[in-house]
Amino acid sequence: MKDLSAPANPLEMLAYILAQQIHDHKIVYIGTGIPMIAGILAHKTHAPNITMVYESGGQDPLPKDLPWSVGCPFTWRKAPVVMEMAYSFAQCCNGFVDIAFLGFAQVDMYGNVNTHQIGKDLLHPTVRMTGSGGNNDLSSLTEEVVLVGVQTPDKFVRTVDFITSVGHLTGGNSRKEAGLVGKGPIAVISQCGEFDFDPTTKRMRVKSLMPGWTLDFTQQFTGFELLKPEGEIPQTPVIPDDILRLLRTEVDPRGVFTTMPTA
Amino acid sequence: MGKFQFNQEAVYNLKIEDTSILDRLVDFESARQAHLKKDHAKVDKRMSLKDAIATFVADGDCMTDSGFAYVRTPHQAYWEIMRQGKKNLQCIAAPNTNHSFLIFNDTCGYSHNSYVGVEMRGIDRNYDRMLRAGRVKILSEWSHGGVALGLKAAQLGAPGVFSKQMLGSDILKYNPYTKVMQNPMRDDPDPVVFIPALYPDVSIIHCQVADKYGNGYIYGPSVNDVATAAAARKLIITAEEIVPESDIRNRQGTVIPFFYADAVVELPFGAVPGNMPGYYYWSRQWWEKLIRFGCASDENLKVFFDEWVHGVKDQFEFVDKLGGARWIAEARIQTKAAEGDHEDIDFTYEEFTKTHESGLYY
Repeated sequence: MKDLSAPANPLEMLAYILAQQIHDHKIVYIGTGIPMIAGILAHKTHAPNITMVYESGGQDPLPKDLPWSVGCPFTWRKAPVVMEMAYSFAQCCNGFVDIAFLGFAQVDMYGNVNTHQIGKDLLHPTVRMTGSGGNNDLSSLTEEVVLVGVQTPDKFVRTVDFITSVGHLTGGNSRKEAGLVGKGPIAVISQCGEFDFDPTTKRMRVKSLMPGWTLDFTQQFTGFELLKPEGEIPQTPVIPDDILRLLRTEVDPRGVFTTMPTA
Repeated sequence: MGKFQFNQEAVYNLKIEDTSILDRLVDFESARQAHLKKDHAKVDKRMSLKDAIATFVADGDCMTDSGFAYVRTPHQAYWEIMRQGKKNLQCIAAPNTNHSFLIFNDTCGYSHNSYVGVEMRGIDRNYDRMLRAGRVKILSEWSHGGVALGLKAAQLGAPGVFSKQMLGSDILKYNPYTKVMQNPMRDDPDPVVFIPALYPDVSIIHCQVADKYGNGYIYGPSVNDVATAAAARKLIITAEEIVPESDIRNRQGTVIPFFYADAVVELPFGAVPGNMPGYYYWSRQWWEKLIRFGCASDENLKVFFDEWVHGVKDQFEFVDKLGGARWIAEARIQTKAAEGDHEDIDFTYEEFTKTHESGLYY
């Protein structure tokens, strides 16, 4: 049985910060995993009027249990519309979707994402992972993208082994020049804190750090040089006790996504 | 060599020596001829699953997945393909991991990838091993939306579409079918990706209900299935129930027209152990066992498939192994509750882990 009074673990803190990226009345494209937690948490707290959409086609389902697949019944529960997949992605291109949340196995300083493989050779990878799924589509088309994942020097890398999804490509104006739509990644959320991108160079920049994390310590968890904001680095807001309790009792009661992995 | 002007960088990167293996997926003329040659008469096309697979799935065919991951996916038909020992299939893994198991069975030799894995339950270690052991050759990499647009273009009767997806990514360096071009409507630089219409050889689509002619009704996400049905040279419709044609006429929603279908199979529990909207929930423990035990090694996967695929004759024996009538009752309540059509239930269950096996599959 879960200890409801235990301090928040890093995944719970991360889920909270991710939920804070969601503003009420927006249309939010939800991917598998922590983004689902964040969407449902936001819906139950500060953003009760968001509309969640899913790549398998469910539009505005009645939220219930956590989906175990982006095609499962909880992603289209009593949905007024269940679209074909091509149309569901097309909505991002056509400007109907405000923000998308995506995971990564590796991310680089420009917010380019790898979910394909570890190792450079597609035919002989060290480890083959999932490939794109909808990651590339959402990243290519949605107005705003928030990336979420665990931070280690192996995951926050200078160069990703494979560009599955383009963030800001090589910085500056290169994303637009490649022909992509939307602003690209606006934020990266990890257990260390929140990051954004310098408006000119499009390099990843510290926005705030979780309690206990210093810039030096965070830099050690990063495979490239992080940019610093002007002035003192703010602390990332901590998940309030009542919201933590809600997360544990109603959003992810079985700890499917918010239990720290054990060895 | 192939008939088409493939993306040479991708052909080189993928080390494809004879590009003719890529042709069939974009060969519009042969797909049109195949569609013209079908018997367009509205006739009873019912047959057994065994006959449908034996007749309409040929060695070397390019086959699409259907449904989504483990939702309305024709798992039982895939198992039958494995049991019949088909060889060298090309599989389009969008959006699915299921062809990974056909590779292990030496049934699938070629892979068009847009997603390989089991979502929240992690990476597919079997596919990873098969790729590194050279037992599968990748023919193209995609995003889900890229494949969806290629199939949709075929349904639209268009040679292809221009897209904003995949631009700037490494996916295009490993996709022989796509080409980056300048948008012809604009003077200023505006790169777009040309995605050709995609025509698989065969598709199997599991529907909630169908009539004997092949009108197939889908409830829940239809994903790419209507496009796939229109594009494929050969189409097998499997269904939970075969209903009178008047029943289909009275329904509103997604229907695949009968004249696309070559075979109609009444296949209750055809999506087991996945989820069939309106009919049954997925067996969570079965998938956990597959991923956590089966996919851990070649030896484990052989044990697993010897038991669950080669060790059963049909889907009824499979359901018996899951728990029979009790499984059916539980799975029906679970899916209806998940869809909001049943009083709320507790979805708590005993997870399969490497140290805990309850023996329950619901």
